Amino acid sequence: MQDMQRRALLKGAAAGALAFSVGGAEVLLTPRAARAQGVPLRTLSAAQAATLAALGETLVPGARAAGISHFVDQQISIPAEEALLEARILNVRPPYANFYRAALGAVDRASQGRHGGREFAQLGEAEQRSLVDSMRQGKVEGWQGPPGPFVYLLLRSDAVDVVYGTMDGYAALGIPYQPHIAPTRSW
Amino acid sequence: MANEKVDVVIVGAGASGSVFAAVLAQAGKKVVLLEQGPDWQLTDLISSDFWGRRIKPASGPFQLEGKNPFGYVYQAGWGVGGAALHYFANFPRLLPNDFKIKSEHGRALDWPISYSDVAPYYDKVAQDVGVAGDAKAEEIWRPAGQPYPMPPMKTFRHGEVWRKGCEAAGIRLVPAAVGMNSTEYKGRPACLYDGWCHVGCPIGALANPLVTYLRDAKKAGAEVRAHATVTRVLTNPQGTRATAVEYYDAKKERQVQEASVVVLAAWSAQNPRILLNSTTDKHAKGLANASGLVGKYMMAHFSSGTWALFDEDIQNHLGTTGAQFMSYERYGKTSQKGAFGSSFITAGSALKTSDLGGFANARLDLFGPDLAAFMKRAARGLTRIGAFGEELPNIENRIELVSDKDELGMPLARIVHSFDQDAVALWNANFEEGLKIAKATDAKEVWSALGNMPTIHLMGGTIMGTEAGNSVTDSYGQTHELPNLYVAGPGIFATAGASNPTYTILALSLRGAEQLSRTWSTVAG
Repeated sequence: MQDMQRRALLKGAAAGALAFSVGGAEVLLTPRAARAQGVPLRTLSAAQAATLAALGETLVPGARAAGISHFVDQQISIPAEEALLEARILNVRPPYANFYRAALGAVDRASQGRHGGREFAQLGEAEQRSLVDSMRQGKVEGWQGPPGPFVYLLLRSDAVDVVYGTMDGYAALGIPYQPHIAPTRSW
Repeated sequence: MANEKVDVVIVGAGASGSVFAAVLAQAGKKVVLLEQGPDWQLTDLISSDFWGRRIKPASGPFQLEGKNPFGYVYQAGWGVGGAALHYFANFPRLLPNDFKIKSEHGRALDWPISYSDVAPYYDKVAQDVGVAGDAKAEEIWRPAGQPYPMPPMKTFRHGEVWRKGCEAAGIRLVPAAVGMNSTEYKGRPACLYDGWCHVGCPIGALANPLVTYLRDAKKAGAEVRAHATVTRVLTNPQGTRATAVEYYDAKKERQVQEASVVVLAAWSAQNPRILLNSTTDKHAKGLANASGLVGKYMMAHFSSGTWALFDEDIQNHLGTTGAQFMSYERYGKTSQKGAFGSSFITAGSALKTSDLGGFANARLDLFGPDLAAFMKRAARGLTRIGAFGEELPNIENRIELVSDKDELGMPLARIVHSFDQDAVALWNANFEEGLKIAKATDAKEVWSALGNMPTIHLMGGTIMGTEAGNSVTDSYGQTHELPNLYVAGPGIFATAGASNPTYTILALSLRGAEQLSRTWSTVAG
């Protein structure tokens, strides 16, 4: 039975979208559409999602609209073995939600420490860029959380995934996607 | 429910387990393969970097320690087909100098066999799974053998642009030998050059187990049980023979599968974990571990990559994830001044945008608008040359059990891994040479892919040797202590060489499985 459920789930995965909860029902949506429709978050708080969206946008322009917060929120709400996150490849120990909570918390604490109590999402673009650049190099004073360069690598990968890893992302770069088996939607 | 006793139980349905299954099932043996992950089908292999991550483990039972922790998930398998479901199918082989490093240089270890013992199996595997390449061209570096069954793959500009630089450095490039179809082969189609090899080839042009040995094994009656996690090998009261394996099924219920012969083919890290967890009063340190060498001599490859950005459109989205060209020009153990170990050079991988190997990671320092601008240029003009380096066996690089346990109550393990000075020196020498090569091309910009020293491929842990005092298995993978317990896969390599390991895994597995089949009545008792 478990195997049949898995097969059904993977068939959903093959359809290219992710399963989001809307009004008590599961619907398949791209993260971009989930964000646009204001689908409720499952695991992240609104503040964490705002930090993630701002961080994603700083790392890769377009990540906010591509739904990075909804992508990560959905992905850390499902069993780790079904997750598509780069965290999987980078040997992060599940549950992945723990990593994201710790990473986003560290970014906000660093931001508050540097900028008079303001969280990362409230900073100006130049301030955001400067903080990310310090985090990338492991040079944020008093940093508390997973190592800054690793947080940079992993969240940058998530942002790259939602902006450049999709069929839409390839189209935007002018690269033929050429799938053997295509995700049936552009996600 | 008791499981009926079988002739052979194989732990792991990846590259090596599939070969044992095919040979033994075709010899009329009743074979069961127990696979920890799902029963993947070709239709599950979606062309997408993030969907492709599903065929790798989500969490391993290994804690990663040491100066260079072993980031193993990227190259690990999870499910039927194992890591060979997403491997790049580069098929270089080990060369004669790999087998006798101790004799020839007074360092590392000797294998108990020579290149000439393995060479016929390289040739056989090439016919079995289909290899494209130019054997004659390779023979400038190795003894002559049979031609490959298919001509080389097509080449593309992003590979060809490296010719000029390599020529200037005195490095001869030949067509890469790959486990892929340049033409239709045994009913499998020719490659489409879409560059999605690394997330699994669903058309069967790339020789993954599902379309080669595992398919043959199933056709001959072998049974695959997915979601079956093996925790121990069980032995008779005297401790002289393996009798069964203990595993947990999809419902997490304990099962025992009795068999006349047990083959552990669960990869270099998991095989030692199972052996060390199989203690009895007769085997207090774990099975096949009288020497204390189970879990020792873990080895990795490392890669020195060099990027080159061209103004022209070099069509880097076309081709295969592996390589178009290869060279053994620096394969001699002392080829690089001030360093020791072999290097193996490849050029011309198809590039995708995301994931670890994606070109967004070619400039990890860039983010924001700078990254966006780079992505546009890289999409047409970026290419890479790489050199794998050899890590020598070091007894301190090891796997050992820890007190924490997984959900089945099996102890987790730690992989302790640090590169030594030789490895670091070779890594640096290959960066230097890569940059020299790149500068001699027509590229606009060139740079080294610096960063943390990578750990690629996982070998050792159950190394082969001449006797129980210096090794865990003999050259066939048969453990010295228990005649009906075999270990298959890269864990039995005595040294790592610098070549991608799967071709050698297949050749050694074929050699081991045929020996087991030939000596069945003695081994199975």
